[in-house]
Amino acid sequence: MKKFSQIFVISYCFSFFLFQTIFAGTVVDKFKIEGIISIASTKALQSELLKKLDIKILDLNLKKTDSGWPVLRIEYDPDIISKNKIETVIGEIEDPAGHKYKVHKGPLIANANLIDEENQAMTILGDMTMDLKQVNNPTVDFDSSIKRGKDVFIKNCAKCHGLNGNGYGVVAHGFATWPRQLWAWYKADSAADSYLYWIIENGKSDMPPWGLVLSEDVRWDLINYIKTIKKPEEN
Amino acid sequence: MAEKIKPPRIRVSRRIKKNKVFKVKVKFDHPSFTGLAMADDTTEPVFNRAKPVTFIRNMLVYYGDELVSRLSLSSGIADDPLFTFKLKATKEAPVKIVFIDNFGKRWEASKEIKFKG
Repeated sequence: MKKFSQIFVISYCFSFFLFQTIFAGTVVDKFKIEGIISIASTKALQSELLKKLDIKILDLNLKKTDSGWPVLRIEYDPDIISKNKIETVIGEIEDPAGHKYKVHKGPLIANANLIDEENQAMTILGDMTMDLKQVNNPTVDFDSSIKRGKDVFIKNCAKCHGLNGNGYGVVAHGFATWPRQLWAWYKADSAADSYLYWIIENGKSDMPPWGLVLSEDVRWDLINYIKTIKKPEEN
Repeated sequence: MAEKIKPPRIRVSRRIKKNKVFKVKVKFDHPSFTGLAMADDTTEPVFNRAKPVTFIRNMLVYYGDELVSRLSLSSGIADDPLFTFKLKATKEAPVKIVFIDNFGKRWEASKEIKFKG
């Protein structure tokens, strides 16, 4: 029994020191990666990094990250490898198609401030021409119109505006302007109809002119549905 | 896709008569990219950022000193776009086109308009 406890203590101490030696001082860092454009490029980045550096890749998160950029989590020993070294190596790797990766830093410059010349041009010619005609909502049966509008919304609008109208649709990241949060028009009165009708018909910024695709009746269904979209917390 | 951005080039009709309409063509080698890619198609299609978004934001057209048009563009526009539009030849003056991209960088090109015939 005494011998058994001795072996147990020795093996416990040995495994403790071994664990300490392997994992002592390791840190986990996150890197936002530019240049991941295909499935092949996700694999190439990870395999090349493991070949070039003595690190452990925890995961590569492509979806629903805070910034929209893919996030690579790496565990490494800062005494052996510096963060700069990892960033440099990432910048040197090429994917099978010859595209290079880069560690993304700072905020996304989706749209820099307007320069003076653009501001002057807008002062002279106007931001955009909006000829809002007074329109009256012809809907009689609002309940069925809202149901139809919901289907139209899911089919055509949710990709950009999000299923719950939060402006965070799956393709929203790439736009110059963030899609509008649609609960701004929750229970809006008839005064908003002209504006919504004009925007849906003619488009604005990155939004295409849906007047070319959707008939007038369908657009009214959509407007009636948009006016029922609540802020998620209130749902 | 144009990896290198080249300065814009303008071509106008050879014979321009006073008070007649003439055609202006502008070519600008500039990339246009939403910045999105779909790197994982195993489940539902989810896009991730792949590159910083890049596009021409504004195109301004001057005829002489006068600003005659502003085109507000987006990432939906093609790479290396070619714009064609018409102007009325009211005066002998340069046509100047200014491009500004979403990073606030500015390019311009101009062509002198002279009446012939």
